[in-house]
Amino acid sequence: PGPAQEPRSPCCLVCAQGRNLKAVLCQRCSSRGVMCVLPQLLLPAMRKKAVAAGSGGSGGDVVREHWLVRDMFSFENVGFTRDVGNVKFLVCADCEAGPIGWHCLDDKESFYVALERVAHE
Amino acid sequence: MAKTYDYLFKLLLIGDSGVGKTCLLFRFSEDAFNTTFISTIGIDFKIRTIELDGKKIKLQIWDTAGQERFRTITTAYYRGAMGIMLVYDITNEKSFDNIKNWIRNIEEHASSDVERMILGNKCDMNEKRQVSKEKGEKLAIDYGIKFLETSAKSSINVEEAFFTLARDIMTKLNRKMNDNSSSGAGGPVKITENRSKKSSFFRCTLL
Repeated sequence: PGPAQEPRSPCCLVCAQGRNLKAVLCQRCSSRGVMCVLPQLLLPAMRKKAVAAGSGGSGGDVVREHWLVRDMFSFENVGFTRDVGNVKFLVCADCEAGPIGWHCLDDKESFYVALERVAHE
Repeated sequence: MAKTYDYLFKLLLIGDSGVGKTCLLFRFSEDAFNTTFISTIGIDFKIRTIELDGKKIKLQIWDTAGQERFRTITTAYYRGAMGIMLVYDITNEKSFDNIKNWIRNIEEHASSDVERMILGNKCDMNEKRQVSKEKGEKLAIDYGIKFLETSAKSSINVEEAFFTLARDIMTKLNRKMNDNSSSGAGGPVKITENRSKKSSFFRCTLL
């Protein structure tokens, strides 16, 4: 992952109801139609992306803006890592780029996809 | 939100370690990203969406997480599984011989009506082949299971294998539904409506 980019202004990504206007794709292999999320709410979340294993603790970005997905089966294609504490990370199902988001096992109905780690088209 | 799919199938990959299960299913793309972070943790399962006969099908595909090394695959792992890929490596005779043991394991622990399929993986490595295609086909016929040789590396038959298994599960479900309705149990039931959304995180039992 490169330096944290300024996320695009949400206004071009969401409709009046706060749902996504564009398909959400893997940044790396978008041509393969990786991860099209159905309409979801956009919620800002102040959570540190827990990049735990093997990165010396300080790697990773604090990601504030996420797509919130309520039903894991509304993902077209996505991969889930094994548990890291009580978190599972989300990856691209095709090329395994990630983490592109996360899911906390304490909240079975929330899956967060980081805006800045996916492509929109 | 309205449900956006018609069927949800939980599939498992079973077989000796090293036969390429993880690659087979988990990497449809040659061009894998493979960050140390992700490969250190490992992938638990993937959700993939396919379309069959105009029906949208969600596949939730699980890897064994190396438990096969210790033969600790038990009922918990099989729970709710509707399809199982039995995978061996065509360059490793032992992994082929073990398919019988895996079938026994499935019979002990999995639901009796789980759909099964045998895959001879790594068929791109013909020069190192130890198990002939005919041998694989014969085993499959003996057990009444479908068979394909696959190569995750060269993307041979991988998608086809998952489509075939999904189709067989769908056919079985439809047949069950017809049986139920013809025996006077009421009209056709849309399968997905039976699924309890709340409890479905690690299970996706349909019936």
